[in-house]
Amino acid sequence: MGLQAYLILAAVVFGIGLFGVVTRRNTIGILLGIELMLNAVNINLVAFARFSGSEVGMVFTVFAICITVAEAAMGLAIVILLFRVRRTVMADHLDLLKG
Amino acid sequence: MDSGLLTLVALLAPVAAFLVLAIVAPLRRAGRPGAYFSILGATVSLGAAVAAWRGYDGAITRMVWDWLPSEGRPLATIGVLADETSTVMLVLVALVAFLVQVYSLSYLSDEPPQGLGRYYTYQSLFAFSMMGLVLAPNLLQLFICWELVGLCSYLLIGYWYQKPEAARAAVKAFWTTKAGDVGLLIGIVMLWKLAGTFDLGELRAMATGNELPLAGLSIITFCIYLGAMGKSAQFPLHVWLPDAMEGPTPVSALIHAATMVTAGVYLLHRTSWLFALTPDVLLIIAWIGAFTALLAAVLACVQDDIKRVLAYSTVSQLGYMMAAIGAGFSTAGFFHLLTHGLFKALLFLGAGAVIHAVGSNDLSRMGGLARRMPQTAIVFIIGTLSLAGIPLFAGFLSKEEILGSVWAGGLVGPFLLLMLVAFLTAFYMFRVVFLAFFGTAPAAAGHHESAHHGAHEHDPPMPMLLPLWILALLSLAVGVYSTFIGPGLVALPEGAAEHTAPGWLTPAAVGVAIAGITLAWLTYQRRTINAASLASMFGPIRHAALAKFWIDDLFERVLAAGTLAFSSLVGWVDRYIVDGVLNVVSVWTVTTGDEMRTIQTGRAQDYVYGLAVGLLLLLVWARWSLT
Amino acid sequence: MPETIAFWSLAVVLVGSALAVVLSKNLFHSVLWLALALTGTAGVFLLLEAEFLAAVQLLLYAGGIVTIVVFAIVVTERLVGERITQTSRRITAGAVMALALIALVVNAISRQPLPTAREPLTTDLTRTIGESVLTRFVLPFELLGVLMLAAMLGAVYFARPED
Repeated sequence: MGLQAYLILAAVVFGIGLFGVVTRRNTIGILLGIELMLNAVNINLVAFARFSGSEVGMVFTVFAICITVAEAAMGLAIVILLFRVRRTVMADHLDLLKG
Repeated sequence: MDSGLLTLVALLAPVAAFLVLAIVAPLRRAGRPGAYFSILGATVSLGAAVAAWRGYDGAITRMVWDWLPSEGRPLATIGVLADETSTVMLVLVALVAFLVQVYSLSYLSDEPPQGLGRYYTYQSLFAFSMMGLVLAPNLLQLFICWELVGLCSYLLIGYWYQKPEAARAAVKAFWTTKAGDVGLLIGIVMLWKLAGTFDLGELRAMATGNELPLAGLSIITFCIYLGAMGKSAQFPLHVWLPDAMEGPTPVSALIHAATMVTAGVYLLHRTSWLFALTPDVLLIIAWIGAFTALLAAVLACVQDDIKRVLAYSTVSQLGYMMAAIGAGFSTAGFFHLLTHGLFKALLFLGAGAVIHAVGSNDLSRMGGLARRMPQTAIVFIIGTLSLAGIPLFAGFLSKEEILGSVWAGGLVGPFLLLMLVAFLTAFYMFRVVFLAFFGTAPAAAGHHESAHHGAHEHDPPMPMLLPLWILALLSLAVGVYSTFIGPGLVALPEGAAEHTAPGWLTPAAVGVAIAGITLAWLTYQRRTINAASLASMFGPIRHAALAKFWIDDLFERVLAAGTLAFSSLVGWVDRYIVDGVLNVVSVWTVTTGDEMRTIQTGRAQDYVYGLAVGLLLLLVWARWSLT
Repeated sequence: MPETIAFWSLAVVLVGSALAVVLSKNLFHSVLWLALALTGTAGVFLLLEAEFLAAVQLLLYAGGIVTIVVFAIVVTERLVGERITQTSRRITAGAVMALALIALVVNAISRQPLPTAREPLTTDLTRTIGESVLTRFVLPFELLGVLMLAAMLGAVYFARPED
């Protein structure tokens, strides 16, 4: 399959992930959507790296995965803290920034 | 000294007196010393004016100083212009001003010193303004002095400003003449735009040399006439003059008989070469003049206030002068101006003596005064005969000249009106004479004032009597001179039209006057004709005349309605448009702000959504505009 | 040919499980579907002959992240009882927007001339990656370690018991 197919696949997964981020009410659900988006990006990177003959993209992917892990840990820690403070994980209820 | 310099001295003497009195407050507040100072200025002025007139050798003298600079030549100059017209007019103004100031010493002797000082300050200022107008070498200085004269008239009419009628009359005079002055200013500026100069000499050369374009000149002359209409009390701007009688009688004698009201006539005579180019405007002037004369004469017949009779008489005579100007013979009008100045001032001062003696203006309170005030009676009758136009008295030849010029100008309608007016003039003036000086004194009938007044009914003291006699003798002198020799006073300026009166004119005019006198005698002296039945014969006219033909009411209604309508319009615009715009803007801002605020939900998810939409738009734009 | 079949089936698995992640009403089910999606991604990596990455993906993502998410869910105690609809009000708008985005990107991709065949690998990819990480990218590698440490400390601090 050509590069195009992989890129389109990544785009589709990215779109689905974005949909999840925007629509989910549960904070953890939002985080899952973010994970999907990051995943799609990784597919993109690896595909480009493979079809261009350079391994830099893959190194980049390794780094991206590691950073994602760190980010997920942080995000979930914040969710737990938020739950402790506000007794809710519904994103709807977190509207302190309301204008 | 040459005439120019003398006229300059005559002009500067009163303004020096004014400045001193205005600045040096103690002198002014002292009263009589201030009065003497002002009279001193008036004397110097009179002497210089007479010297200038007699010494005038036919050479027109101008002394001007540059005033408003402009590129090339100055925009305006100030100074004096001495020619035949201005020197003789100057003498009239200086003479009457001087006599009135002397007269006022005694007439206003009961006034508090500060009031007296204020009065003489205004008198000096007025004398200066009027002389500045007379001697003006260009239209700009003329207009400035014109306005100054109007100001002084306001100040002097409203001299007893604590009286509400006097204050109102002063304001009315000011506003009515101001309406005319607007026209004058517009006319002057338009003329400058057309001709490029304000200077009278240059304009005259252009007019007679056919260098002025005729298109639009009628509007200019009409606008200038509007100014004369206001100052010289032509219909419909005549309404201020009768009310102006609220001022002291010497003021009426000076301003509303001899000088200020004649400024309009003087202006038209000065610019007669301009008006000669627009005969249609002249026709209007003649008709309005004749109509004013008739209107005022009718109104004078029904007045019971002696000063009002004289006021309407002045309006009527001004109409005469305007009619002559309209016929194209402005010299006749000017000649009548001079003689009228003499005898009308005399009449006013005489009336002042009567009022001072009786304590009231009302004719019904007077009667049989000839016995107790013989000298006053004599001078008053001299004045009345002059006004009626009887030979040997001052008004005879000048009135004849006017009638003759109106006839020679081919204006039959105005001529007939003026003949009728001559009849009425004689009638109403002699009505006054018979009612006031002859007949019996009014019944005391328990009026507690009459005994008090009986003590006053004698000839006035010397400061009042002397001017009366001077004016009376001058009237006689001018009358005799003009009857036998001719209008020597007024040398015809070059190029002025001449006319010969038809032979039947003099007998007709004199006859009409005598008829009027006879009617008055029969009605008021011999009581052959009942005054009441005579009045009822003219029932509706008399009724309308008593209401001043509702002209005043009409003005008031229109002005009040107009001002109210305009101000409510302005108020509406202010509330709904000016404020409305602001209010709408503010309401929109607030509403928009409230609605936009709902975007800020505070939820991060919605902001991500916003981000995503923005990104989408950016991509769309990148895809379709950058490719 | 086998590659095409493999690709398409992996694509179906990946996209299907991704949809399930975002549409599922039960949060725990979402997590499980995510695990499947991550595994699918590992498969894609295998297709692209990046074995090392596939291993890393499985270890870290499918293993690690799914675990912590499950733990987080347990801690927040909203595991069961989530029968109520989870998705919020913006379903249609979100869907439209996501579809539009996908369409745009796909459109942009299709217009580009992209290579359709890949060159055969000459070197061992894992070895190359390892060498790059430790020579050319050693600095980011070390910094990554620091980042990990910081994240770990932060997470421990945030999630500490209340006292």
